[in-house]
Amino acid sequence: MAGVWIFAENLQQTAELLSIGSDLASKLMTTTSAFLIGNTDSADDCIAFGADEIMELPALAGDQPLDAYIPVIVAEAQTADPDVFLIAATVRGKDIAARLAARLKTGLCSDCIGVTFDEGNNVLEMDRLAYGGAAIQKVACMTRPVMATIPPGTYKPAPQQSGRQGTIRELQAPQPSPSTVLERRPKETQVKDITESRIVVCAGRGIERKEDLSLVQELATALGGEIGCTRPISEEAHWLPEELCIGLSGISVKPDLYIGLGVSGQVQHVTGIRDAKVICAVNKDENAPLFGAADYGIVGDLYDVVPKLIEAVKKAKA
Amino acid sequence: MPNIIACFKWVIDEAYIRAGSSGELDMRSVNYKLSDYDRNAIEEAARIKEEHGGTVIALTVGIPGGTKGLKDALSRGPDKACFISDPSFENLEPSQTAAILADVIGRKLDYDLIICGEGSSDLYARQVGPRLAETLGIPCISFVQKLTIDGNRIIAERKVEEGIEVTAAPMPALVTVVPDINNPRIPGVKDTLTASKKEVITITKDDLSSAYEPTLRTVSMTAASMERNCVKFTAEPSDITAFIEALAKEGVLR
Amino acid sequence: MDFKLTEEQELIRRNMREFAETYVDPIAAEIDENSRHPGELFQKLAAGDWMGIPIPTEYGGAGADYLTHALVVEELSRSCSSTGFTVSIHVGIACMLTLLFGNEDQKQKYLIPMAKGEKLGAFVLTEPGAGTDVMSATSTAVLEGDEYVLNGVKTFTSNGPTGDTYFVFAWTDKEAGRKGMSAFIVPKGTPGMQAGEHFNKMGLRSSQTSEMLFKNCRIPKGNLIGKEGAGLMLAMTGFDHGRVGIAAQSVGILQAALDESIKWSKERVQFGKPIARQQAISWMIADMATDLDAARFLTYRAAWMKDQGVPFSKEAAMAKLFAAEAAMKHTTKAVQIHGGYGYVKGAKVERLFRDAKITEIYEGTSEAQRMVISGNVLR
Repeated sequence: MAGVWIFAENLQQTAELLSIGSDLASKLMTTTSAFLIGNTDSADDCIAFGADEIMELPALAGDQPLDAYIPVIVAEAQTADPDVFLIAATVRGKDIAARLAARLKTGLCSDCIGVTFDEGNNVLEMDRLAYGGAAIQKVACMTRPVMATIPPGTYKPAPQQSGRQGTIRELQAPQPSPSTVLERRPKETQVKDITESRIVVCAGRGIERKEDLSLVQELATALGGEIGCTRPISEEAHWLPEELCIGLSGISVKPDLYIGLGVSGQVQHVTGIRDAKVICAVNKDENAPLFGAADYGIVGDLYDVVPKLIEAVKKAKA
Repeated sequence: MPNIIACFKWVIDEAYIRAGSSGELDMRSVNYKLSDYDRNAIEEAARIKEEHGGTVIALTVGIPGGTKGLKDALSRGPDKACFISDPSFENLEPSQTAAILADVIGRKLDYDLIICGEGSSDLYARQVGPRLAETLGIPCISFVQKLTIDGNRIIAERKVEEGIEVTAAPMPALVTVVPDINNPRIPGVKDTLTASKKEVITITKDDLSSAYEPTLRTVSMTAASMERNCVKFTAEPSDITAFIEALAKEGVLR
Repeated sequence: MDFKLTEEQELIRRNMREFAETYVDPIAAEIDENSRHPGELFQKLAAGDWMGIPIPTEYGGAGADYLTHALVVEELSRSCSSTGFTVSIHVGIACMLTLLFGNEDQKQKYLIPMAKGEKLGAFVLTEPGAGTDVMSATSTAVLEGDEYVLNGVKTFTSNGPTGDTYFVFAWTDKEAGRKGMSAFIVPKGTPGMQAGEHFNKMGLRSSQTSEMLFKNCRIPKGNLIGKEGAGLMLAMTGFDHGRVGIAAQSVGILQAALDESIKWSKERVQFGKPIARQQAISWMIADMATDLDAARFLTYRAAWMKDQGVPFSKEAAMAKLFAAEAAMKHTTKAVQIHGGYGYVKGAKVERLFRDAKITEIYEGTSEAQRMVISGNVLR
């Protein structure tokens, strides 16, 4: 047995991985298998998304961390010898993937953002970012299974196909992990998820005072979009929550329109907007790197430009 | 009094990398630095030692030239360093780094706690910590933003998508830390000068019990082109109008 | 020839850069505006062993070399010239004089707390009528039993209002000429010694400067530093060391002027393009970068010679002369590059411009440096 295996923490991520997973499976002329965590209700959905086999992991006790599943997954993989194993690059996913790779003595491409199949050599080549986003590293795994973690949102969910058939297999319950979860604390403030927003206006270091964020918000509101920020605004000044921090160590966005206000355009930030359809920059520094990554730019002081933009947008929309 | 191993990597400072004319990486004028989050790992080890006593060993694997990195790490509080070095260790991939570290830790070092940065500034694969723990067969808590020692166990606050997961694990254990966990100290002059005098255990490739072949091959490393053709406008009213018209034409104003 | 710093020197320089960016940059404009001595900052400097770098560890210092001290003064001055200078004169003159000429008791009592940064040193030589012409000083020290009695008026004393340990120069035998002046250590609080008000200066405003009045100020005989009559030699030796620090301070100012000019000229658009693309501006920046390197290497050479234990008086004077004049010349250019924006408070180049001027004046004017240099080469 072989196949393309998929592990994710929820159905949305599983559907995304099944999109690329099914594609790879057809090229490798094999099947797809997806793990499902403790929720038998979505097995049929997973099959509709393209899974040929569902491996159900029994629900864990409340004090058990997700990594308790590792020995069970390792045992399955050692028996079934999958070709490819894709894992959603969530915090826990990245942790579990690295530990599975160590146990399976295989290579892992972390934060894979693209996969190509070299049919002539029968090799999967995987792209990832390195050096803070300044470089693209293309890697190939020389051992089995080929493993990769893929950030949520990299692929669109696979379309649901009705009438697909698949097998469902329930796996054994894992032994308790030596680690125990004492407490789970939800985030104190719920911040709007802007990863799927159509328009994002981003506040950069050029914003001088916290009060001036209202200017950024006003433009975002006029455009019908959301506000995001760069690392100095969230991590250093703490003016906005870190959930809005765009870049390598924060979130990635792919809106139709991104406007960076006073954003210099450090590579670590630009990495987080590379999939935006239209990128605009407003900066008084004509040499700001963001202009190089932008489609349209306004060279000028944002405190002068933004009020004019707000007026112009309102007029255009009226 | 825990014996702590803090792992670190001496990496190319990405701020010095330039894109060459044909998309290759221009590394001619690069400088090296202690990988950003490894500063947090070493700081956390030093902080725990100051609170609970014990020892701190700074551990790294790399090419023999990296002595400045050893001094940098040692100036931040560790008692001694262990340097696994060989000219062939320039571009190790995560499985090799983890396997080499596990080999040396498992056979030569006493420890209760291993602290790693969540990932290195260069490759940022975030694999070495978890792989190392798994290879040593010890509990692993990754992406930790707060760490406490509670008798023979550690209690760690992990930063996950939905919030915080407070996890306990018996020692020996491994944690990987995120930058929020502390503010790394700025070493004083004496810290740097005494670092040069601290013991460094050097371990060569011959001392390892296996060759540790790579499992991942780098096919290519190219400059990430994010370049677009920027049409520039000024802040003049006519230009602002032209800018908005351009956006409307793109169909992004709705 | 090897132009490379040691790994320790590189690390210490980088650590000071991080220190200055973290603790000095945020307050530099404020302490200039308010002429304030930042005590909280000096506590942090003391904690990181930055206040006694070239002093051996047994005397409370860090036990590094003089070049390392110069690198640190440079990086500090790049953020705040006043702070860089305060460290420079404290270490280069007060600590070094005690190390070189103090007896064991004086080292134990005065050097250790200074090198640890617990006490701040001050150099009390200049008088209202005696600047470059040191010999026209009038302050006197008369031995009465076991005590010297000091009388006189001193001025432009750096660290005057904030100092703890004063190095005071006065005639013990005016008739003996160059061999008639002596140096004394006077601790803060000694009756008869009084510091005046901090001067309201053009630049270097957070470095505290005042008059010092001595009126029947009695100090124990044991506070004579060096032999009686060796004062002038001590002062000149102190200047040799101090000048390397002023040169390093000037290099720091120059580096900051270059940093600011590069940043601004790329940002400021005139005639449809950044002014950096105008040859008039780019050539100014080329000259600035070239003089910066020249000043830097003259400075490092003087410090290196000090560390080699060879005479470095001429080289220290050359470094100080060139670096100070280059700092003045190029901070003027930096303000020019900034135009009107460089002339208003809040622009860093405005502060750099005001701070640069003093480097051509204190610890020997540029003219005095030329006297030292010509005296050496025409010998």
